[in-house]
Amino acid sequence: MRLKDKVAVVTGAAQGIGRATALTMGREGAKLVVADLQGEKAQAVANELTALGAESLGIAVDVASETSVKQMAKATFERFGRVDILANIAGIYFPKKSVVDLSEEDWDRTINVNLGSNFLCCREFVPAMRQQKSGRIISVASGIGHYGMRQFSHYAASKAAIMGFVKSLAREVGPDGITVNAICPGSANTSMPRQHRSEEEVLERLKATPLPHILEPEDIAGSITFLASDAAKFITGQSYNINSGTYMF
Amino acid sequence: MSQVALITGGGGGIGGAVAQRMAAAGIAVVIADYDGGAAERVKGEIAAAGGKADALAIDVTVAREVKAVVTDVAKRYGRVDILANIAGGSRYTKRVEEFTWAQWKEVIDTNLKGTFLMCREVAPIMQKQKSGRIINTASNYGVTGSALRTPYAAAKAGIITFTKSLALELAPDLVLANTVAPGPTDTPRVMEKEAPEARQQRWWSQIPLGRTALPEDLAEMYYFLTTPESAAITGQTFHVNGGVVMP
Repeated sequence: MRLKDKVAVVTGAAQGIGRATALTMGREGAKLVVADLQGEKAQAVANELTALGAESLGIAVDVASETSVKQMAKATFERFGRVDILANIAGIYFPKKSVVDLSEEDWDRTINVNLGSNFLCCREFVPAMRQQKSGRIISVASGIGHYGMRQFSHYAASKAAIMGFVKSLAREVGPDGITVNAICPGSANTSMPRQHRSEEEVLERLKATPLPHILEPEDIAGSITFLASDAAKFITGQSYNINSGTYMF
Repeated sequence: MSQVALITGGGGGIGGAVAQRMAAAGIAVVIADYDGGAAERVKGEIAAAGGKADALAIDVTVAREVKAVVTDVAKRYGRVDILANIAGGSRYTKRVEEFTWAQWKEVIDTNLKGTFLMCREVAPIMQKQKSGRIINTASNYGVTGSALRTPYAAAKAGIITFTKSLALELAPDLVLANTVAPGPTDTPRVMEKEAPEARQQRWWSQIPLGRTALPEDLAEMYYFLTTPESAAITGQTFHVNGGVVMP
C-alpha cells in the first residue's frame, strides 16, 4: 500500500479520471475527500470507497468558487486533520466554439473552472503542507494544452496555463518538501468526448493511437498515484504525457 | 516465470540502483557493463539480498558484441521483457574547439549509438513477444544544452527523439519505449570528481527540492515504466531532477 494513511483530496472525483484516481488511491491505503460539483455522485464514489475499506468523505464543491473551496478545505481538516495529497482534476471542456464566436462568459467560466480551481485549491491546502514539510499536488492538464485544438481555444489556454502555474508553484513550495506536477492525458475513454461526438467517432478516435491501447481513466489514475507516492519524491515541476503515444513532447 | 530485464551500465550508479530496484520487485536482471567487475559487484549485492541477477561485460558501441550478448541472453532466458539503456556519460568537459574528432565520436557512440545498437537487437525479440518495455536514458542537458558538453548534450537530445521514433515504430506490437532524463545525480562517478561541499554549493540553490538526486530517485521512475500502471505511456520523456529543469 503506497499511500497508507495519507489524506488525499481529489476534485472532479464523481466520474472519469477523478473517480478512477479516488478509487486507485483508496486501494493504496489513502483516506479520500471525494469532491465534485455533482454532490450526489461524489457521495456515490465515497460509498464505493467505503465498500473497498477506505475512509472517505463525499463533498459537493464548486472549484471556481472561493467560498465553496474554503468550505471544502474546512471539511477536510475537520474530518481528517491534515492533507497530504491534492489532485486537481475538476475541469470543463465546453462549449465548442471558434474564438470569434466565443462569449466572454464562456471564456471566463472555462478559465475559472480549469485554471482558477488550481489556484483556489492550492491556496487553501498549501499552508498545511508547508507546515508538515511534505505534500503532493498533481494537476490534470491536457495534451491539448501543448498542441492546441480548433474551437477549443479557451480549454487549450486553460490547460497550458495549468502547466505554467504548476512550474511556478513547484519553485515556490519545493523548499518546503512539496512537489507539484501535471499530467497531460490524451483522449480517454470517459463521458467527456461523448458530449460532442457519436459513440462510433469516440471509439474510432480512441483506437487511432500509435499504441493499440484504449486510454482508460485507470491509466491516468495510475500515473497520478505514482506521482503521489514516495517513489516520486524527487519529481517536481514536470508535465507528463499519458496518451498511448498520440503526442510526444 | 519472472520478467527478464537487460540493463546496460548496470554496474554504475544509476544502473546499479535500477538493477536493485527491479530485482527487489522480482525481476530477473542481467547487468551488462563495460566494467565487468562492477557488474559482478552489483550481481553479488542483488544475490545477497535474495534477488536474481546475472552479470556480463559489454561494449555497447561494438555492434557484434551487442548482438552476441543479446543473442546469449535471449537463449538463456527465452525472453527479454525490459531493456534499460543506461550506459553512457559525458566523458569530457571542454570547449567545442578542443574536442578531437575521435573524442566527439566516442561520446556520441557511447550514448547514442550504444542505445541504437541495443534497441536494434532487442526490439525484434520484444515484437515477437508482443510485449516489452524499452527505457532509454537522456539528461536534462539533452533539452537545455550544456556549455563544455556539446557532444553529450547532442547525443542526449538525439536519444530523446530516437526514442520517440522507436516508440512509433514498435507501438503496433505493444512494445513501449520511453526516456528517463536525470538531472544532477550523486553517482560514484561524479562524486569522485567533486567534493560534496562544492557540489552542494553549485547545485542546491538552483534545485527547488533543495538537493541533487540519488540514484534511487531515478530507479523508481525506471521501475514505474515497467509496471502495468504505465501501459499507456510511450514515446515520452520523464525528467526526474528535483525541478532544476521544467521543460
